Amino acid sequence: MKFFILFFTSALLLFANGLQFEHDFDKALQKAKEENKEVMMMYSATWCPECNYMKDVVFKNKKVSTYLEKHFIVLLLDIQKDTLPKGFEYPGIPVFFFVDVNSKEKSKIIGGSKAKIFLQKLKAVQ
Amino acid sequence: MKNIILSMIICSNLLFAFDVDDLNQLKEEGDCPMCNLSYADLSNMDLSMSDLNDANLSHANLTDTLAHKANFTNSDLSDAIFVRSNIKGASFVNAILQDVDFTEARIWKGNFSQAKIDNCNFNDSALGSAIFKDNNLTNSTFNGAILYKTIFKKSVIGIPK
Repeated sequence: MKFFILFFTSALLLFANGLQFEHDFDKALQKAKEENKEVMMMYSATWCPECNYMKDVVFKNKKVSTYLEKHFIVLLLDIQKDTLPKGFEYPGIPVFFFVDVNSKEKSKIIGGSKAKIFLQKLKAVQ
Repeated sequence: MKNIILSMIICSNLLFAFDVDDLNQLKEEGDCPMCNLSYADLSNMDLSMSDLNDANLSHANLTDTLAHKANFTNSDLSDAIFVRSNIKGASFVNAILQDVDFTEARIWKGNFSQAKIDNCNFNDSALGSAIFKDNNLTNSTFNGAILYKTIFKKSVIGIPK
């Protein structure tokens, strides 16, 4: 019995830990309105090592993922598959747009950085 | 009068170790292979895709410079400053990198193959997917640097001092 409780708890923790990503702008915006959060839209590419570092390392940092989960709906858009919504321009990738409820750009972070610095930047744009 | 003019010319040459024509070429054309840009102030400039192959950039200041995919192959970068520069995809193949300061530089995918690296400061730089091949890195520092998927091939990595 103890084994099963431990197994289910571990399984629940495993699934609960991952940061949820959206891939559709309108859906993300709707979800943000419902949950009273903002949208953080990351524009990236699979061939961009800086983008992959952010997804593989920084977003998996506990402090960063907890902060993102609490304050944002994280929307991932790929430069090769998705066009940016009207009114958004990117100077290079990765870029992180912070979108208000009216679909307007509130601010942006250009480029990736280590978890600690990225967290500081996130707090600054809030 | 002639002496004054002559001394002014000599002084100006001493003040600017770089070739003024070369610096103008770089600013106008964006490329300057084999140029003398020693001690030049290239800070905050956009040198993206610039060809600086075989150039003399010793003591040059490239602080906060944008130089995506710039070509520094075979160039002399001794004592150059790249603090906070954005040099993604730049090539430093076979370059002389002695006492170069790369603090907080973004050097994703930079290529340092066969570069003569000596006493360089890579602290807090981003070196993800950068290539170090045939380098001696024993007396260079990498404190706080991002080394995500960085390739170290046939390079000597020593114990920090």
